[in-house]
This record gives sequence, structure tokens and C-alpha cells, in this order.
Amino acid sequence: MRKLRAFWMRLIGVSRRGRAEDDFAAELESHIAMHIEDAVRQGLNTEEARRRALIELGGKEQIRQARRERHGLPWMEHLLRDVRYALRTLARRAPVTVIAAISIGLGIGANATIFSMVSRFVLRPAPVGEPATLLSLHIRPRGQRCCDEFPLPVYGNLRDQAKSFSGVAAYFQLIPASISGNGEPERVFGQGVTSNFFGVLELPMVLGRGFASTENQSPVVVISARLWQRRFGSDPKIIGKSITISGHSFAVTGVAPASFHSVDQILDTQFWIPLGMTRELVPTLPPQDSREYHWLAVVARLRPGVSRTQSASEMDTLAHRLALTYPETDKDNAFIFEQAGSLPPRERDGVLTFLAALSVIVLLLLAIAGANVANLLFAQAAARQREMAVRLALGATRARLRRQLLIESTLLGIAGGVIGILLSLWSTQLLSGFQVPAPIPLNLRVGIDWRTLSYTFALSILCGVLLGLSPAWAASRPMLSNALKGEDALARPGRRLSLRNLLVVAQVAMSLVVLCITGLFLRSLQSAVRIDLGFRPQGLLLLSIDPRLNGYTPQKTSQFLLDLRRRVAALPGVDAAVFTDVALLSGGNRSDGFTVAHAGKDATFINADLYMTTPGYFDALGTRLLSGRDFGGESAAGPRVAIINKAFADRLFPGINPIGQHVDGGHWTYEIIGVAGNAKSRTLGEDTRSILYRSLDQSITDDPSMMGYTLVVHTPGNPAALAEPVRRQVYALDPSLAIYNEKTMEEHVRTAYFLPHIAATLSGVFGCIGLALASVGLYGVVSYGVSRRTREIGIRMAMGARTNAIERLVVSQGMVLVLIALLLGWPAAWMLSKLASSFLYGIQPHDALTFTVVPIFLAAIALIACWLPARRAASIDPVQALRVE
Amino acid sequence: MGDKADVWQGTLALMILKTLETMGPQHGYGLARRIEQTSGDLLQLNYGTLYPALLKLEQEGYVRSEWGTSDNNRRAKFYELTKAGQKQVRKATADWKQTTEILSRFLAPEKA
Repeated sequence: MRKLRAFWMRLIGVSRRGRAEDDFAAELESHIAMHIEDAVRQGLNTEEARRRALIELGGKEQIRQARRERHGLPWMEHLLRDVRYALRTLARRAPVTVIAAISIGLGIGANATIFSMVSRFVLRPAPVGEPATLLSLHIRPRGQRCCDEFPLPVYGNLRDQAKSFSGVAAYFQLIPASISGNGEPERVFGQGVTSNFFGVLELPMVLGRGFASTENQSPVVVISARLWQRRFGSDPKIIGKSITISGHSFAVTGVAPASFHSVDQILDTQFWIPLGMTRELVPTLPPQDSREYHWLAVVARLRPGVSRTQSASEMDTLAHRLALTYPETDKDNAFIFEQAGSLPPRERDGVLTFLAALSVIVLLLLAIAGANVANLLFAQAAARQREMAVRLALGATRARLRRQLLIESTLLGIAGGVIGILLSLWSTQLLSGFQVPAPIPLNLRVGIDWRTLSYTFALSILCGVLLGLSPAWAASRPMLSNALKGEDALARPGRRLSLRNLLVVAQVAMSLVVLCITGLFLRSLQSAVRIDLGFRPQGLLLLSIDPRLNGYTPQKTSQFLLDLRRRVAALPGVDAAVFTDVALLSGGNRSDGFTVAHAGKDATFINADLYMTTPGYFDALGTRLLSGRDFGGESAAGPRVAIINKAFADRLFPGINPIGQHVDGGHWTYEIIGVAGNAKSRTLGEDTRSILYRSLDQSITDDPSMMGYTLVVHTPGNPAALAEPVRRQVYALDPSLAIYNEKTMEEHVRTAYFLPHIAATLSGVFGCIGLALASVGLYGVVSYGVSRRTREIGIRMAMGARTNAIERLVVSQGMVLVLIALLLGWPAAWMLSKLASSFLYGIQPHDALTFTVVPIFLAAIALIACWLPARRAASIDPVQALRVE
Repeated sequence: MGDKADVWQGTLALMILKTLETMGPQHGYGLARRIEQTSGDLLQLNYGTLYPALLKLEQEGYVRSEWGTSDNNRRAKFYELTKAGQKQVRKATADWKQTTEILSRFLAPEKA
């Protein structure tokens, strides 16, 4: 404590130097005066007394120095002095400083941007109390890599039997609902949670109390802070008030904290109701006592003092015991877990690879920027040899000079870090603006958090120090005699390949790698744009409603959809209005396994995506019907009919005409009445999937859509202009219906380009930065070479060399470096491109075009960078050059 | 003068604190004199260490200083123990006693 206080006082002392000095001078004077007085009193004369007093004091200046050192913090004062000197030096060479800081800033900014994604999706713990001891549990069927959710009874077994946990909670992840009252009805998503959910999460409410353990069947709700602010104006008296969710009334018992969106940190959940109430909003929930339907996510809180290994082995025992008790259903189940809030296990690998690929690119970028700045600093060091030599000759230690140079480069690093943070603030803003192709609200906002800030700070310091090391070393040991004579003192005799040349080679090689990856992503975007969607995205308006949420019966829903279709079709400018459940390319949809009907046990089994459609759907979307007919005229209760796509037909009916055949899937048998062209179902990058379209009217009763129904309006004109009139038709039929996902098909398809788009954008930006940095670096090195050889070139010209011979000399010198770099970089890029392979659409990672065009392009740019200084070299006036002496 | 002992590390602070405790507020010159006297003129104080030591004690909050007037009507800076300083004197005294006691056991001729 005392030490800290003393340190603090000294720190303050650093800034209060002058007054303390005067004060102490006065104190010393009074000391001497009293000493003299004493001595005089003992009989000495004043002169002698003064002499003795001064001798005994032992040198005023030394005492003052000793005190001064104690007064402040000498090392810090030295540091401050060096920093001030460094700032002055940097300011004096403003252009170089600015270029260096911007170079580092670009590199750091790119890294900060990518790291902010790493921080957001990989490092950030769930926004719950004690995130380290909260686990997400999964069931992993034997032989599979990943996992399922829980049947309710299995959750019950776990909750009652596992001793490693102080609490186990389960929740149903996605309840689509509409909230009405207080303005336009709005569609939101909530979760159905066990009453101990918020307790297990240790999530204190902003307002209210959450759920009591007796409330599993009560109509109560906890709302998100966002919903509270947006819809209820942050009403402080909201607790106890009743709100209407999908036509049911719930009493608000709590408001969750603003930071909490969901345990997985990706779903954007707006309300939580007790699990027991979930069936009110989701009538299609699986039977409660079934051990076969996996529908609940489970989180568990580790008991204090229990390690993860211990709980893992307990879970193994439990799984084993359950397998013995329920061999029918639980035989192959194993339990696994990870810390809650980690990436969902299914997506983890993909996201990690994506981030790893980006991290490699940005680190390369930073290395390129670093090489650039190192080269600049080298040039500086060369220019400052005289200063260094003079300081050395005057007695400065080499360590002191090195420290000085290191401080300068570290300051550059920090300046770059600041620029980088500013850049990344802007870039993360842009990133957060990307629309994700998903029909459910996701919270994927990326921002700069403290982890990113500290990473960036560490990175910029590291950068600064690394950058400074070698120039500092070189500059602090110039060949003294050369330097004082004004000759180049850094060029050591007998060294062929200087460090600067090495740096440029590395730089160009790394740019080649980055540019190749950029090229791949750009080609991928290009080929993604050309992907045949299987439908025509132009002239279509999409708009979704879910009347079920307002208590509509299936019959009433069916009638409503028909009425709406008729009304919209009658609008001027509308060609067709049809319904489907979920628009194509929404990231995922229902699917089922299908076999040829009555084909016996070992029949071919295929997985197909399921869509509901109304008559006219294929015409409206421009998907060709290859054979058979469209829906129309089937009775809702009659035998079920289906239209399959070509992929489905090829897989299940190779060489056979599928029309009139029957297929089994889900719980029904369908007669195939038509075959449609293939279309992209979930994502752009997918291999063609099998699709089965069924009649909306035939399916709406037994198997309603959980995601609502999407109206597809076709117009020869501008579809966006139809939004308002169509909206009015919906409200004319029922003003309490929530309208959502309202957009044109082209907008919708654009979101499907999310991945190739984001990859191409990021790597495109990075590639340009890398290229610019590398060309500047190359230019710098060649120019430096020219400036060093001015005299030699002068002599050559005096001897009769022609200008183009000189140009060729200089250019070839630079291009040799480029050639070496290309030879090194090309195989590296070739190998690294594999990393990007899973994000490429329609092209191979070893895309021939990319790997030929990019090196040529880079060589061309390099040629320009070398040619500019070469021209200057050729314009050297021999008389001037030889007069340099 | 040559046979006078130098003040060894770490003990000066305690001497200063103890002197301030017994004599009350004192200026630097008086303190030095007093310490030398107390030591029976066996100690030769180096003023180069006295003033930094006083500053250190002040930074640690054991003493505070103030300009005042000496007996001879001269302006001088007076040092005074703070509450924390008084506590520190007691603690350091006890520590020191224990140290010397232990050390003296080692140095004393072994009891037969």
C-alpha cells in the first residue's frame, strides 16, 4: 500500500519538478545557514564556518541530484524525454511517418476487423452469470459427428439423476408469434423455457422476477429489453400487465437484460414463456412423453467444485444406464457438452475455417505492411547514419540509440493501431450491415469490444518493436569512419542480398498469395452470380403472414389465403399471386425421407426438401414444368398429389416416367402429377437437392407450416411498388395480422449471396491493400538502389552507356527480386488455396485462370514500380552525378 | 572522522522516525545533528542520503513537512510524524528488536 502511495507521489512528482526544486534549494540554504550559525557560535569565523559547512554537506549539486532522483521517477522521465524526442523526429519527417502509420494502420485495421469477428463468435462467453460453468448439452447418436437436441423425458432423466449439475434447464428454441396491441402487429420469435431457466442461467432481470418454479403452466412471459423499449416505451410499470402474443394473453413477470438475446448468442429472441405454455403457441409440438422426438435444447450449471471431466464421465454412465433401461430409443445415445454460448457444434467447423482463412489473409497483409514500413525505416536509418555516427562519436551508448529508434518505431506502431481501430470501427459497421439469408431473426452484430482493443494494442506494440528491431540494430552500428565521411555506412562490404531485398521478396511473395485468394473469391462471386437459380427472381414481391398465430383454424387459414390471392391478383399490374410456405433460398427448410411407395424394406431412400404451393406457382416463378401438370382442382381431403423436381425424379425413378407413380414420405403417400425443373432450395452453393412440392390446401390441415405462408406476387412492373397496395389488401381482410419478410425476390436472392459476397468484398479490399503496399515497397527499394548507385550510373553514362541500357539495368535488378518472389509465392498460394475451397462456388481451388492471371498481373504492376525509378536513373546527368563527391 | 561508521542501509529511516517521535517536529539540519549526537558522535551522516530519505518517508506518508520558523528565527522546513508514521515507528522498532535479538544469539558465545 505504502509502496503504491510512494509510487503515485513520485508519478505526480514527475510533473511538478520546478517548484520542488526551488523549494529544496531554499531548504538546503536554510540548512547551511543554521550550520554556519552553529559553527560561529562555537567560535569559528564566518568564512571558516561556511567552508566547513559546505564540506560536511558534501556538494550541493550531488544532494540535489540524489533528491531529484527520489522525487520523480527517473526511468520514466528518461522515457518521456525519449518519447518527446521521438515525436519531434517523427514530426520532422511527416510524410514518411504518415505513410508508415497508414501502412501499419491498414494492416492492423484488417486484423482488428477479423479479430472482432473471432471475438464475437468464438471468444465471447454467453451473456449469463458465471458463463464458465454453464454448459450446453447435446445428444450424439453413435457413429455421428454431431448432435441432436433432447426429448423431454431424457431431459427429465438428466435433471433428476445427474449429480454434477446444480441445475438443468431445457428450452424450445423457436416459437414464431405475433405481438399485437400498441401499434402494427409484429412478428417476433420467442422461446419456451423450463421455469428454472433464468435461475440456471443466473440471469438477473432488469425488471420483475422471471419465473417461479410453480409457473410452468401459467400464462406468464419474460420479454426482452429490446421489445420492452420498442413496443412498450420502456414502461416502468410493465410488470403484471398483460400482453397479447398470437392471440393469447400473458402477464409480464420480467424484463431480461439488454445484452441477452439467447444462450447461443445468435438467435434474436424477444420473449420467453414457460415450456408448459408452449403448446398454446405451437400446436405441432411433439408428444411430451416420446423419447424419439428431439426438440429441446438443454443447458446445465456445473455444481461448484465439479470439473468438466467428472461431469463428462457421469454423463457417460448416465447414457449407459438409459441405454439399458430404454434400449428401443436410447441405445445409441451419448451425451456431449460444450460451454454454453460457443458456436453451435454443427456450424463450428465451417465458421472456424472461414475465420482461419481470413486470419491468414490479414496476417499476411500485416506482414506486407510491416515489410513496407521496415523498408521505409531502413531508408530512414540510412539517411540518419550521420546523426547516429555523430551521437556515437559524442559518447552516446549504442543501447541508448537503439532504445531511441525502438521508441520511434513503437510510436509508429501505436499510431498505426489507432488508425487501425478507427478503420475497424467503420468496417465492422459495414460487416454488421450484411443481410443473412435466414427466415428467422439472427443477431450477428459485430463490434469492437475490449478483447479486440487489447489484441489490437498488443499487435501494434509488437509490430512497432519488431519493425524497429533490425533498423535499430543496423543504425546503431554504422561503419563509423564511412558515416562521418558521408558515405553509406550501412552497406557492409561483401553482402549480396541485403535485408531490404529480402523484405521486398517476402512482400511480393505474400501479395501473390493474398491476390491469388482474392482472385479465387472474385471468380467465385462471378460464377455464383451465374448460378442457375431455377427460377426467375425479377418482378416478384414476397410477403409473409402467419394467420395461425392469430388463432385461425386451418380451414379459415386456407380460405383467408384464397381470398387474399384473389384480391391481390385483381390489383392493377399483378400477373399472378400464389402462396408457398417458405421462399426458396431461405437457408433451410423442412425435409423428409422418401421412398417409392410399397417398395419394401430396402428401397432406395432419398431426402427431399418439402414446399407447399398453390396452383400457378411454377408459372409465377418461371420454373419450367418438364412434364405432367400443375396443381389445380384437387380436393383438400382427396388423395395427395405432388410435383417433384428433376433431381428427385432422377434419383428415385431413374429411367422411368415418374408421372402417376406414388412415393411415401412423412406420414403420407403422394401421387406424382408433374416434374419441375431443378431449383436452388436452401443455399446457392448447394449441390442440386431433391424437392417435393405438395398442394398447400392438402397439407395445411395435418401439417401446417411453422414459418407462416409467403405470398409471391408476379408483376411485369416494379415489384417494390406493389408492396403498399398488397399490404392494404392484407389489412383489409384482417388488420391484426403481422406482415413480415416483405421484400422483392431480387433482394431476397441478394442475401443468399451473403457468403461469396462477403468473402469477395473482404478479400478484394485486402488484396488491393496488399498490392498497393507491395508496389510501394518495391518502388522504394528500387529507388533506394538507384540513389545508392547514382555515381556508378553517372560513370556508366559518361562512358557512353545508353539510357535504355541503364533503364534495363535498374528494372532487371528489381524484376529479379519479383521473379524470386513469384517462384516462392506461387506454390504457397497453391497450397493455401485449399483452405478457401469450401467457400468457393462453381470453381476449383486450383483455378487455372486465377493462377495464371494473378502472377502476370502482379508482375505487370511490379514492372511499373521498377520502371518509374529506372526512368529517373536514366535521366541522371553524369556531370551532376560525378560531382556529388 | 575516518573511524566514524556510515549509516547502513535501511536503518536511517527508522532513526529519522524515532528522532521525530522523541523530539517532535524538526528541520533537516536539526535532525542530522540530533542523530549524530544520539549515536554518541559515532555516526557520520551523509546529507546526500538524509534528504532523499526524508522525501521517501514523505511520499510514503509517514512524515509531512511544512515551512516554519526555527528557534533562531530562521525560516526552515519542519518535518513531523503522521499517524501512519507513529504506527510505523512502533512496528519497525519491534521488527528491529527481534532482528537484533536473533542476530545476537548467533553472535553470542555459545553457552556451555
